[in-house]
Amino acid sequence: MFWSQIKDMKKDKKNSFNTPEGYFDSFHDRLMARMEKEAQTDSVIPKSDGFAIPEGYWDGVTPKIMSKTVKENGKVIQLKSYRTFYYGAAAVAAVFVLVFGINWKSTPTVAFDDLANAEIDAYFESNELDINTYELAELVSLDNVELNDVLEQDLDAENILQYLDETVDDIDELNLDYSDYE
Amino acid sequence: MIAEEALIKELKQKESQAKAFEVLVNTYKERLYWHIRRIVLNHDDADDVLQNTFIKVYRNIDGFKGESKLYSWLYRIATNESLTFLKQKSKKAGISDEELKNRMIENLQSDVYFEGDEIQLKLQRALATLPDKQKLVFTMKYFQEMKYEDISEALETSVGALKASYHLAVKKIESYLKEN
Repeated sequence: MFWSQIKDMKKDKKNSFNTPEGYFDSFHDRLMARMEKEAQTDSVIPKSDGFAIPEGYWDGVTPKIMSKTVKENGKVIQLKSYRTFYYGAAAVAAVFVLVFGINWKSTPTVAFDDLANAEIDAYFESNELDINTYELAELVSLDNVELNDVLEQDLDAENILQYLDETVDDIDELNLDYSDYE
Repeated sequence: MIAEEALIKELKQKESQAKAFEVLVNTYKERLYWHIRRIVLNHDDADDVLQNTFIKVYRNIDGFKGESKLYSWLYRIATNESLTFLKQKSKKAGISDEELKNRMIENLQSDVYFEGDEIQLKLQRALATLPDKQKLVFTMKYFQEMKYEDISEALETSVGALKASYHLAVKKIESYLKEN
């Protein structure tokens, strides 16, 4: 009796089991979540990385940031204003040189260009400007800069080829036309 | 929860900027601090970089076009500031990035704001062996418990690539911890 019922079920391909609605749709997500959870539970990686902060740090940091931003508004010093300062300083220096140069002829002749450059060079050398490469890149247009302006030695074809020869594994891959450099 | 669009609008208007900026700082300072701290490791350095990050945000808020979410823009600035800070630090000390990482971990042992023991130190040594991106993904996911979608926006990387990076990072860290 029982076996005949089973046979009938097989014949009709009727499945008497059921699953909750949407079971298979959400199966993948639930499996992934469980795997992630198990990975964390079984992991040898510690749960904490041990970093601590001084007591009351969060209370003090907002006023510190506000005093350097909003309350400093207008005092924010940009590179452009440094430049204005250099021009101003150079102009004042020029006036001094002219006035003193005319009044006391005994003083050795100092060329304006030398003085201005020397002062500016000394300033750059002795003061660390808080300008990073991003800020410089924003201010200096590439259109106005020749590659040779920023290199200590002029870059010629020979230097480029020597560099490529030393650093590139297979120089032939660059498909250079050597006849240009011969 | 703050309405991001309204906050951005207020940040760009001179009369409401100060108040809005304070809201921004208070909303994001902790999350950004921990993100930065896990890159630079030392509290004082993290404090410096956090302040630099907000200064940069303040100076550039007018340039924020809203093409990405505000928090992802903040995370990007914080990440760049942290990595630039480390580069400058190694350059100033005249040592390689690798050497700097080793020194940073050694210094943790005497850091009063590091309460970890041997296993946490080992974890830092393991993290130092990972490429920057993998380390970032791991700390953002494992310790900051960020969603992949949010990390994806902040690091401008697809969710699939992040999942792969995270999986690789976990495997590398686990095998380092087991072997050492």
